[in-house]
Amino acid sequence: MLNGSLVVFLTVLLPFVVGRFWAYQLGLYGLYAAAAVGLGLCWGQAGFLPLGQALFFGFAAYLSGFAFIHFLDHPVIAVVMLPLAALAAGLLAYVIGILIFRRRGESGAYFSMITLALALLGFQVATSWNSVTGGFDGLKNIPGIPGLDDISSVYDLSAGVLLLMLALCRWLRHAPVGVLWRALAQNERRLLLFGFDTNRLKAVAFGVSGLMAGVAGAIYAPEQGIVTPELVGFGLSADLVIWTAIGGRGSLLGPVIGTLVVGSLSSQLRDSFVYWEVLMAIFFIVVVLAFPQGIVGLTAPLEPYFAARRRLREPITVSPRAAPERPALLAIDAATVTIGDVTLLDRLSLCFNRAGIYCVIGPNGAGKTSMFNLITGELDATAGKVMLDQVEVSGLEPHCITRRGLARKLQIPSIFPDLAITDNLAIALWSGRASGLALLDPRLRRWKSPMLDELCRRYPFLADAGRRAAALSHGERQILELAMALLTEPRVLLLDEPCAGLSPDETATLIDALRWAVGQLRGAIVIIIEHDMAVVKELAQRIYVLHNGGLLAEGDVAAIQASDKVRAVYVGAEK
Amino acid sequence: MSAPRLAFDDVTGGYGSTMIVRGASGAVSPGEVLCVLGRNGVGKTTLLKLLFGFLPCRTGAIRFDNCPLGALAPEMRRRIGMTYCPQERPVFDDLSVHDNLTLTRADRRLESFRPYFARFPVLESRLRQHAGTLSGGEKKVLSFVRGLAEDQPLVLLDEPSEGVQWENILEMEAAIKEKTAQGAAFIVVEQNLAFAERIADAYLVMDQGRAVLAGVRATMDRARLLAHLHV
Amino acid sequence: MDPLVLTQAINVVYGVSTLAAVTLGLAVIFGLLGVLNIAHGEFVMIGAYAAFVAQWAGWPFLAAVPVTLLVCGLLGYVVERILIRPLYRRPFDTLVATWGLSLLLREAAKAIFGRGYHSLTIPVPGTLHFLGTEYPTYRLILIAISLTVVTGLVVWYSRSRTGTWIRAMIGNPELAQAQGISVRKLASATFVTGTCLAGLAGIMVAPLVPIEPYMGLDYVLRAFFVLVVGGLGSVLGLFSGAAVIGGVNSVISAVANATYGYFTMLVLAILVMWLRPRGIVAQR
Repeated sequence: MLNGSLVVFLTVLLPFVVGRFWAYQLGLYGLYAAAAVGLGLCWGQAGFLPLGQALFFGFAAYLSGFAFIHFLDHPVIAVVMLPLAALAAGLLAYVIGILIFRRRGESGAYFSMITLALALLGFQVATSWNSVTGGFDGLKNIPGIPGLDDISSVYDLSAGVLLLMLALCRWLRHAPVGVLWRALAQNERRLLLFGFDTNRLKAVAFGVSGLMAGVAGAIYAPEQGIVTPELVGFGLSADLVIWTAIGGRGSLLGPVIGTLVVGSLSSQLRDSFVYWEVLMAIFFIVVVLAFPQGIVGLTAPLEPYFAARRRLREPITVSPRAAPERPALLAIDAATVTIGDVTLLDRLSLCFNRAGIYCVIGPNGAGKTSMFNLITGELDATAGKVMLDQVEVSGLEPHCITRRGLARKLQIPSIFPDLAITDNLAIALWSGRASGLALLDPRLRRWKSPMLDELCRRYPFLADAGRRAAALSHGERQILELAMALLTEPRVLLLDEPCAGLSPDETATLIDALRWAVGQLRGAIVIIIEHDMAVVKELAQRIYVLHNGGLLAEGDVAAIQASDKVRAVYVGAEK
Repeated sequence: MSAPRLAFDDVTGGYGSTMIVRGASGAVSPGEVLCVLGRNGVGKTTLLKLLFGFLPCRTGAIRFDNCPLGALAPEMRRRIGMTYCPQERPVFDDLSVHDNLTLTRADRRLESFRPYFARFPVLESRLRQHAGTLSGGEKKVLSFVRGLAEDQPLVLLDEPSEGVQWENILEMEAAIKEKTAQGAAFIVVEQNLAFAERIADAYLVMDQGRAVLAGVRATMDRARLLAHLHV
Repeated sequence: MDPLVLTQAINVVYGVSTLAAVTLGLAVIFGLLGVLNIAHGEFVMIGAYAAFVAQWAGWPFLAAVPVTLLVCGLLGYVVERILIRPLYRRPFDTLVATWGLSLLLREAAKAIFGRGYHSLTIPVPGTLHFLGTEYPTYRLILIAISLTVVTGLVVWYSRSRTGTWIRAMIGNPELAQAQGISVRKLASATFVTGTCLAGLAGIMVAPLVPIEPYMGLDYVLRAFFVLVVGGLGSVLGLFSGAAVIGGVNSVISAVANATYGYFTMLVLAILVMWLRPRGIVAQR
């Protein structure tokens, strides 16, 4: 990240270098850039793309313009209305986010389309509600902010707003919530299974972006003196997306640079050169497909020279979660799951009533992973129920169930590849320990726990702060995901083929780690789906054999080996 | 013994970064049945997917009639003479049984299936039904008939007997023997040892992604075989 | 029946059937390939401009058909190869890429034809005496063509060999490949079909709407909401989605104004997204 004070210095210097005309131009585009910063937050961090971002810019602009015109004689009231207008835009965005992201499953495309439609709706309202918005002509002759109403202060005002937004965005990106946004863009399911309400996280990101657009829009009205329907509509929304993409959506300054460079160039060239916009469209497609880092990505080799020195701070040790008074109790009661014509689970009843390691085996399609999906709430029971500590949990949202002390390792190692290993682990530490406003506190990035210390001692690669998780081998990913599940210190731990794809040596160390971890998690129930019989024999206190969605047999290793029913399923029988 | 129809040597591969099959080798000659045995999850299905080109081989080589297959796409492997009947989702659920059988036949006629209908009369009685309404075993029979009727030199079957009634399993055995007599080669993944013992000329036993045991049926040590199959 | 009510009723039928025709191309691409082509509206726009060019050059109206098929077909083919194929399993990236494409086509139209509106003379003028009321002949023809094209396509899809292959590819792509069907070629052909259908719909509506570079936006949004409401993959869904979106929109717009109509459509789509994520006609 570019050094903060350098950015401030350049901002102060710029008007002296480029002259008054360009300073005025850049002042206008500085406000658009503030909105683009918010768009970058949604797209580059949280991984969803609002196509109608101008709605919030224009909404706040109309509100503040209206306030300034109607409180002409009481400029103080009007100034008070500025932050309120911005807040209203942020709130609008948050509510829209909550409404749209509520849809279960893939919502990215739906979100983009609906925000696009909302911007068009906003444009229609702005042009047709003449009495309030002034129709096509918009609101004119809006008085300026007292003391800041001459031409030369346009740059100062915009630059101030922009720097403020950049500071806000920088803080959010650095805070735990920023890590969670980047995490959910990469692997939403994994985050959900750590008990985070991903829909709300996305809505918050959208709300913040709406707030940023709102601040810029609220300042725009008194600064420019006019608000027209174009500010709400499709054109500006599209421009913001293009600028953000070309500048570089993933970085803090990318959207700003994109807006200032492409935006002000466009204002000069779009009328004299007919094919300018066509060129920009082609440029946009190329950037999206081939250079997702945009212009700023080109400066990556220079980064070490400008990067702010990271101060090493003392880690903060969080205490282990309080040991539960009673051991966990998990029961599946006559659960049936059908999807369409397919029955995944058929009146399955299982009871895990003592702490310890249970193994679940069975042929392909027996319903093992479906059983885990049922427990974590990702599959709904058609009939029957799941009880955790004598409370029915079936029917709850997955993140609510996992918050009750459930952790799961997925079959294919599921981590956040583009995050540092340490951030992967930090997310697991936050799971169940931090929520709400605490996620804004950057100190949480320094958390560690006794369990983490021990895991790092056993697997030194986990302490490698500079490395991204994507660089890990398959075996290391399996370990990382297991470590993440353990760090939540769960009462119920579900492991889906933890040894799949591991070499015999890796399997041996994994078994060793599992044994140690289970000793640490006092009172916990550990359920392992495993094909490797060596692992099962080594670990299982009790084995359940599933077949065709139901329970075929249960017992210790010897009982299962002696069972004729199990033999018939595994070796086949003549009948 | 003639030159192998299909030979694979030191094949390694899997999904993404997960290597499921590690260095498996084997071969099957015209007129022969190679049975791949092992518990579930040891990589049998993955091996067939590697052989048919659905998954890329990380290492190793596959040769069909002595010609290296490289990264040839599955639809091209079908065109040079390979047939594949998958274990899961063996048929097109949304199509009728008739359409399932004649999908790639220009004339859409059922004449060539008559001998199979004699073996498996259940299919003929269900021609108009959607394949999705068939039972698991009936789907397997449909998939089996579709595969054999393609009359290809090499057939890959993934657990053809799963859920199938014993009488129909015996009919499958007879149909396979008929084809091998005409020179076709089979690679059959099986869980059902009784069926495998009736059809196999050779075994390849897998455990933990590796081929741990191989040999012709007659000389195979049954106790060792069972040790790799049972829990 | 009161002739005024009857005229209104035919108006609704007209609105719904043209909306279904405009949606068809998007339904093919989104429903069959899972690709949300935001540039769908711009392919409709290309058809409309083709009709404009045909009239401007003095050709017969139907000359726009081969022009559109050529332009939309070629463009669809190239776009599928360059933008869609590398991104089949990344729906979000396809969304952004087709959004860029829509931008490009719109700006290209602006550069070539200018920002202003164009309008066409209606190729079949006059009215027809229909069920006791006078109704514009061209609109009646449009209703007939829309219904024929949609039903024809559906019948072809369920009966023809290629249709069966497409169904096989969608239901079980791996097995289709195992049986020698080239999934890539088939997907490419399906995409081209979708873009061509969009272009044809554009020709049909061209004489009745102002032709301008931004016209595609409204079409793609409406078509998208039809699919949200009606669900993917069935004719019944397509028509019921078109009926709800088109019907609500025209009724509310007539009673109140267009803004309310648009707003209601949006609220309705969001409600359906929550309550019936697979559309109003899908079984749970």
